[in-house]
Amino acid sequence: MSIMDQNGGSVIAMVGKDCVAIASDLRLGNEALAVSSNFQKIFPITDRIYLGLPGLATDVTTLKERFRFRVNMYTIKEEREIEPETFAHLVSSTLYEHRFGPYYVEPVMAGISKTPSGGFKPFIAATDLIGCLNYAKDFVVAGTASSKLYGVAEGLWEPDLEPEDLFETISQTIMNALDRDAYSGWGCIVHVLTKDKVITRTLKARMD
Amino acid sequence: METSFAITGKGYVIVAADTTASRSIIKMKTDEDKVKTLSPHLLMAYSGEPGDTVHFAEYVERNIRLYQIRNLYPLRPSAAAAWIRRALATSLRSRSPYSVNLLVGGYDTASHDPHLYWIDFLGTMTEVPFAAHGYGAYFALSLLDRYHDPEASLEDGLIALKRCIRQVEERLVVTPGKYKVKVVSKDGIQEIDL
Amino acid sequence: MTSVFSPPGFNFSNQSRNDFIAEKGIPMPKATSTGTTIVGCLFADGIVLGADTRATEGDIVADKNCEKIHYITESIRCCGAGTAADTEFTTALISSNMELHALSTGRKPRVVTAMTMLKQMLFRHHGNIGAALVLGGVDATGPHLFTVAPHGSTDKLPYVTMGSGSLAAMAVFESSWKPNMSRDDALQLVKDAISAGIFNDLGSGSNVDACIITASHTEMLRNVEMPNQRVEKERQYRFARGTTAWKSEEIRKLVVSEEVILLAGGDEMDTT
Repeated sequence: MSIMDQNGGSVIAMVGKDCVAIASDLRLGNEALAVSSNFQKIFPITDRIYLGLPGLATDVTTLKERFRFRVNMYTIKEEREIEPETFAHLVSSTLYEHRFGPYYVEPVMAGISKTPSGGFKPFIAATDLIGCLNYAKDFVVAGTASSKLYGVAEGLWEPDLEPEDLFETISQTIMNALDRDAYSGWGCIVHVLTKDKVITRTLKARMD
Repeated sequence: METSFAITGKGYVIVAADTTASRSIIKMKTDEDKVKTLSPHLLMAYSGEPGDTVHFAEYVERNIRLYQIRNLYPLRPSAAAAWIRRALATSLRSRSPYSVNLLVGGYDTASHDPHLYWIDFLGTMTEVPFAAHGYGAYFALSLLDRYHDPEASLEDGLIALKRCIRQVEERLVVTPGKYKVKVVSKDGIQEIDL
Repeated sequence: MTSVFSPPGFNFSNQSRNDFIAEKGIPMPKATSTGTTIVGCLFADGIVLGADTRATEGDIVADKNCEKIHYITESIRCCGAGTAADTEFTTALISSNMELHALSTGRKPRVVTAMTMLKQMLFRHHGNIGAALVLGGVDATGPHLFTVAPHGSTDKLPYVTMGSGSLAAMAVFESSWKPNMSRDDALQLVKDAISAGIFNDLGSGSNVDACIITASHTEMLRNVEMPNQRVEKERQYRFARGTTAWKSEEIRKLVVSEEVILLAGGDEMDTT
């Protein structure tokens, strides 16, 4: 048993047409014993950045607080909101600072970034527990169900999905992958980010 | 074997913990109070490594009290729980960390609702409608999945608690004898004799 | 409380906590590593570097098209194998220091300088920074090609390979490398060496990246060869809208619509 499997939990993010989606399960366990079915793993960082933190739950909470602090400091100093690309590097360097005593989390980020011409561009990224960034054009996954999520997402994802279609694809991906993972599940939450709104839905999922 | 339960209901949180203090296989004491009153509307049940538990509980108690003296109002349950979690998570990064598992239950006098937090020695925290620590958790959580009602009256809440205690007595190999039961509601904290 | 100031360097505050967790016999989780093929070779006018683009996490392919040829300076580049985060951050740090060095000396920095900075950094950390590098570039003293191992030892050779696919790639170099090759021959040789890694080593895969550095300019050839392109899906696997049942929904509008209602009474700006 790895320490990453202590509490269980998984996150996935996907790119669509001018939108991104990020989804997670809601379980918090103590090894095989489920303690909560409403544990938040995805946190809004700004209006247009959502951060998923699967991994050891104590570090999930600690890092959520740390990132909130560091993003607040950034916002005050720079007098503007942090961009997703910048935030990805903030996450990456925070984790690499702890290279020889890491936080046991594998962050997944989804956001909409502003282009210099005033347009919007979808952005997703993930890092490993020591902060190695992985930008992807399609999807990123992390958590105890990551191996299953890779498989299902590889089969179901396709480019240029509209927000409502992306919602269906990411929801079906995570729910079907989670059915095959004992340590994730107990409900799902999905956030779909578009340029002018964020749709958050809790799914009707299997509760076993 | 140490066991603690907590259940929320309509306007209250019941927090219960067994009263045995044991060392290795020996019961040293059977009237230990392991549910601490942190403030007029905040309770904390603690279990874990013997020396750590009392030391940590008193450390928390005094800091919560200090906050109230300095600011003239007590911490709300969510803030108190977040502070306690942070204390544990920080302690975990020290040379000798506290091995303490907690159930923090409180009544928020500002928003008029009960809150319950499950916290373990790693600093894992989550807000839950009901919670348990120790071997009793394996019985209590499944029972409460079936019988817990967030709108239940105190009487019904205590019935649910008794179900848990009875099940543990019936099925657990080594069962704790007595329980200390405390309730926090808008009227403050009261101890209940089962 | 967390200080606003954080000192440079690594933070070991979690170490004792993790040792405490490790006492229970729980193994350390895997970090992304680039089980990799990276190569470099000398030719008539300079250096060609090459790399595959697969990043692995245990037996899972974490990234199918990552970049392993890192920027050091305009005419020095570095391929990285080993722990991905280490290669990424080590090369980024050395790149910064090389830029500062260039500004303070007012000269174009040399490849040996980068090599020395890298080996001293890696040696200082006793191999704990798991970066295996191929460093190549052209400076005032001509073209140079080095390998830097995680413990800080270095080699200077006319053709080098590193990573899990190094044996496959080296076999290609050993059979075909000649001194003073043309640019096109050298590029083809590097492509063949990386391809040997991609197809024969399980830790390497996907595409070929190459970088040609000469005295006059540097050419980064990203995905110069893509022998493993996925074919178009024959069917669509889209779900009909409404397939997924959901329990609750919250929509947060980011566009704030503001309506200005002028009070009657002639306070409006004169716009005539």
